Amino acid sequence: MKKAVKFLALCLVLALAMSMVVACSKDDKKEETKKEDTKNDTKNEDTKTETKENKTIDISGVKLLNEGVLTVGSEVGYPPFEDFAEDGKTPIGYDMDIISEVADRLGLKVNVINTAWDGIFAGIGENYDVVCSAVTITADRKETMDFSTPYIDNYQAVVLRKDDTRKIESLKDLDGMVISLQKETTSEVLMQDYKGTGTISVEIVANEKVTTCFTQLENKEVDAVVVDSTVADGIVPKNTDKYVIAYVDKSEPEQFGIAMKKGNTELQKAINEALAQMAEEGVIEDTYDYWFKSAE
Amino acid sequence: MKKLSKKTIITIIICLVVIAAIVVLNRMMPSQEEMIENASEKMEKMIEKDETRSRKRVTVTYNDLFIVSYLSLSSSGANEMRERFVGFMNHTYNADEGKMKVTGQMINYTYRMLGRGQNMMYGAKLTILLTTLTTLIGVFLGTFLALGKISKRKILNKPCSGYIFFFRGTPLLIQLFVIYFTIPKIFGFAWRDLFDASDTESVYKGAFLAALIAFGLNSGAYCAEIIRAAIQSIDKGQYEAAKALGMSYGKTMRKVIIPQSIRRMIPPVCNEFIMILKDASLVFAISLLDITTISKTIMTSEGSYMVFIPALIIYLIITAFFSFIFNKIEERFSIYE
Repeated sequence: MKKAVKFLALCLVLALAMSMVVACSKDDKKEETKKEDTKNDTKNEDTKTETKENKTIDISGVKLLNEGVLTVGSEVGYPPFEDFAEDGKTPIGYDMDIISEVADRLGLKVNVINTAWDGIFAGIGENYDVVCSAVTITADRKETMDFSTPYIDNYQAVVLRKDDTRKIESLKDLDGMVISLQKETTSEVLMQDYKGTGTISVEIVANEKVTTCFTQLENKEVDAVVVDSTVADGIVPKNTDKYVIAYVDKSEPEQFGIAMKKGNTELQKAINEALAQMAEEGVIEDTYDYWFKSAE
Repeated sequence: MKKLSKKTIITIIICLVVIAAIVVLNRMMPSQEEMIENASEKMEKMIEKDETRSRKRVTVTYNDLFIVSYLSLSSSGANEMRERFVGFMNHTYNADEGKMKVTGQMINYTYRMLGRGQNMMYGAKLTILLTTLTTLIGVFLGTFLALGKISKRKILNKPCSGYIFFFRGTPLLIQLFVIYFTIPKIFGFAWRDLFDASDTESVYKGAFLAALIAFGLNSGAYCAEIIRAAIQSIDKGQYEAAKALGMSYGKTMRKVIIPQSIRRMIPPVCNEFIMILKDASLVFAISLLDITTISKTIMTSEGSYMVFIPALIIYLIITAFFSFIFNKIEERFSIYE
């Protein structure tokens, strides 16, 4: 009898102690998360994504080239959107962060295929499922492919040498100058339009790589570089002794989206849903700050 | 005057007829103003408005390609408008869809690849100019390098062998990069500054000069080996005979050996020429646009894969023309054998 009572009492005490410990730790955790909520945004997302994992986006109807893998075509070599890390094989950059987050939310792995910008769209649906390579959404392109919702806004920036005293107050001030820009980009389309319509007379030097444009500027082969503001934001702050962003043209903004094969609506829907989640949770903004904030 | 053969006369007559036809068709080609009259009212209004606007909206492209002309009016922006016309024999045809659209595109592509209405450093003109000058520099430089390499004097032999080793052993693209980017950086000059600074085209002239130097130096090394092989293939008896006649080494080379070796070096030099013609597309790396680069550009911007057909035809015409010239030179030098 005595033994039984003793045993019961011990059990009760243990149970009480256990419950108290558990309760305590729960309270601690709550407090901690609250602190983190206010202090650290990124941690906050981490916990949120963990909770979101329960309602992963349905991708049952999505057709992919390889099951369980989102194959991404990208022209790696356009910092800060996509560039190789020091090891020379890991693609890093804003686009890469965005697309891997999207794939994560769809429960897919990412396989990045480095491809040349020339003809990059020809490979959609054949060599890769989507193209995520700082692709501007245009009416022309929409005719041949589908786009996700935009994930970044972009403007055109004019970059000069640091010692250049010329004042650029609009793109028209480029009149009579020699400018360098990357081939087949919106910068080229815009400047060719300025030149073709006779708005200004400007000599346009088009290059395959954006880095070539900056080397030409540094070597004094050209007077200015016209480039996406996002790219300028990524390159110029790292080379403040050489270049300066003289002007950002906000009159004709553009948006970047993830391009996919026309008619692949399931994939488009799934990606849009993931992007919407990310925007809501502030992931896109944080990623933007991480890659571009240094410019401000 | 030498009597012309029947075949030559027929060729000349055909050429004259073709030229006459081109001239006539060229005269009958509608002008830009005539073609613009066909534009829709909406477009005409936009063009009119543009005259007062500082940020113009309409791009007028007029291509006169020998016998046919092409006009495209396009406005940029969200409500993009595009109107295309093809002009032939005093008539203007609408080219917005169907077969005429393809015809219009072909005219536009060919026009752009030929680099008509552009400076010398553009399109087919760039390719031909660069290839021809490179071959000339290459053969000239190669002759001296070959003689140097054959020479038994170490002071001549070693540098020439080293030069050939270096330029054959490194890729042309990297040589081009080094000459265009690295050398100005080290010596503190800009290629553009070698030309008139007020001329905005001097940037292309600078790039072209850099390309010509890179291609010329590279081709010199290859030609040197071609020429060395040709000289050394001449029978030893020729040297002995020249020596027996009391000729000096220089005279033997000039009067006996080199004239004979020319015939043997023509086919490989022609080969080298065609190689350079194709390698000329490497100039894309230093912002110059040759036929290949232009066709690639059109492919990405318009998504049209038809563009490669005129590109192939242009290349074949250039190659055919120069092969013909090389054949004629070969025939001429064959009289020695």
